[in-house]
Amino acid sequence: MTATRAKELVTGIAMLGIGLVYLFMTMELPDRGTVDAATIPYVLAFGMVLLGLLQCISVFRGPMPAPTDREDPPLTKDEVLSVDSRRESYVVVALTLALVALYTALLRPIGFPFATAAYLFLQFWLLTPKDTKPPFGLYALIAGVASGAIFLLFRYAFDLLLPAGPLTPYLP
Amino acid sequence: MLMDLLGGATNVLAPQIFLLITLGVAVGIVFGAVPGLTAVMAIALSLPMTYGLDPAAGISLLVALFVGATSGALISAILLKIPGTPSSVATTFDGAPMMENGEGAKALGLGIVFSFFGTVLSIAALIFIAPWLATVALTFGPHEYFAIAIFSLTLIATLSTGSMVKGIFSGIAGFAISTVGIAPVEAIQRFTFDQVELNAGFSILTVLVGLFAIAEVIKVAEGARSISAEDMKAPSVGRIKGFGFSVPEGLSQIPNAIRSAFVGIGIGILPGIGAGTSNIIAYVLAKKRSKTPEKFGTGHPEGVVASETANNAGIGGAMIPLLTLGIPGDAVTAILLGGFMIHGIQPGPMLFITQGELVYTVFAALMLSAVMMLVLEFFGLRIFIRLLAVPKHILLPIILVLCAVGAFGLSSRIFDIWTILGFGVLGYAFVKAGIPAAPFIIGFVLGPMAETNFRRGLQLSNGDALGFFTNPISGAFLTIAILSVAWQTVSTIRASKRQRAVLAIEDELPKRQRPSAAQRAKP
Repeated sequence: MTATRAKELVTGIAMLGIGLVYLFMTMELPDRGTVDAATIPYVLAFGMVLLGLLQCISVFRGPMPAPTDREDPPLTKDEVLSVDSRRESYVVVALTLALVALYTALLRPIGFPFATAAYLFLQFWLLTPKDTKPPFGLYALIAGVASGAIFLLFRYAFDLLLPAGPLTPYLP
Repeated sequence: MLMDLLGGATNVLAPQIFLLITLGVAVGIVFGAVPGLTAVMAIALSLPMTYGLDPAAGISLLVALFVGATSGALISAILLKIPGTPSSVATTFDGAPMMENGEGAKALGLGIVFSFFGTVLSIAALIFIAPWLATVALTFGPHEYFAIAIFSLTLIATLSTGSMVKGIFSGIAGFAISTVGIAPVEAIQRFTFDQVELNAGFSILTVLVGLFAIAEVIKVAEGARSISAEDMKAPSVGRIKGFGFSVPEGLSQIPNAIRSAFVGIGIGILPGIGAGTSNIIAYVLAKKRSKTPEKFGTGHPEGVVASETANNAGIGGAMIPLLTLGIPGDAVTAILLGGFMIHGIQPGPMLFITQGELVYTVFAALMLSAVMMLVLEFFGLRIFIRLLAVPKHILLPIILVLCAVGAFGLSSRIFDIWTILGFGVLGYAFVKAGIPAAPFIIGFVLGPMAETNFRRGLQLSNGDALGFFTNPISGAFLTIAILSVAWQTVSTIRASKRQRAVLAIEDELPKRQRPSAAQRAKP
């Protein structure tokens, strides 16, 4: 099976899975036997399950890939490098998501200014292109200024009280 | 109508709104120009700033961002060969070769002027069509609204994507997400898991910001480390004199521009196939009607004019169903709908009666935004070009923080930030799986409208579902919806069979005579 087909199959299975989960959740809703709050969710659930099945079937029934694609040839040196760089990209994505999750979790306890400054600094560093040396001083400055400016602008100009954390007693 | 328009013009010329429109257009141009930043992001980030403004000022800022971002995309399309947004894909076909041939200034000038032309024509169409359509829509009941919602959903799912199955799935998934919270009619809780935060369902803004802005940030993060220093340099267009083209050159493009504007307005009105499609269709039409079609793709001004007129003409077109029926045609108008709702305004036919002054203020704001777009792009082009070089690894994290602030500002809840993160991951998964996000948004927005009107319609016709087909308007819309799905299904099956037959013939050929993958890909 080619990589494209495998990806399409995984997509189909995920679509089917989402449909089934939604169907099971819909079955928990009170059923009055007529058109009620569960009717539309049932239609949607069956629709998603059907589309998931169609997607899975289309992987096997769809046109065969081009002859050159039917067998995956051994990877060249450049392709090996490209696989490595793709792996690195996914690591960056995973770390970015972890950073954003951590940032969200810390917003209330340590406050917006500190959490944002720390998040920005770490995220700048993480996304810095490979061939560039991270200018840590500049990153710290931008992170601090951006965090402070956004906090003050929204708190005092737009009346949006972002969490201040330990700074709360000291703010007007 | 003239008096209403004058009233609207007076409102937008007030110093506060005038400044907000100028700022909005400038920020919009930057978001349109920088690849990776979108009109949805621009509007989403600015929403929290409108909380403290009155509705006229807030909505004027949002429409200014819309106009600026739609036009700004031409800058990177011509200078970097990267369309800032999908609305300028066709601009790259001739804009980039013109840049390579030393005609970058001319391409930019034509793009700017005809963006303005397209915008103004579409606003004129909006001003004349919208009040009439709103009057017609006043007679609509639950049957008609249900049918229009279903028609819009099917049209989006079948036309906005390459894979119909994935497009329809995306629309249904969006609809399913909209069922979270209190159900219409019976008011029972659905899929809330006893979480108080979910009782009101997900806010349209958190869904949009997550699916479009956060997913985009994650997508860019994926390739951020492999960007070289060379990629971050600002391009140079040389000396720019006037708009870069002569008056006769500009006048010769008028028929092409009018045709393209009609394409843009027409497609803009239809839900789901906005500026991202109209620029390509207008380009193809311009090529077909041109006396020199062979020049297209080599740096022909007609190509730039067609694409840029059509995409900007979509602005007025897309506002017609939004204002008159409360139906957003794409993600940008969906977030504009969110912006209206934040200010307690429900777009729809009643808007023209209850908030007539605001409607004409929006018309005037659009017109002023078009003028400001022309002025700012003419005088500030060099500044916008320089902004293309701002490093993405600095810009995107700050945008993410602003998205989080916007989400928090909705109800001062950290829960909403988790929500945008969740929808961001979903949006990224959609990108990876090749599932289009636009049908999801439209499903999410139109879902409650379809369900509520379905239930009400059934109540009106004593539980008889045939009422939806016997009503002439709803019957017509539902028939078109069914035909659209059937037609698309047959086309997909035929295309699949044709491809299988071709590959079967190729299998019969000796290996040497089989076409390569590259040869097969050529049209």
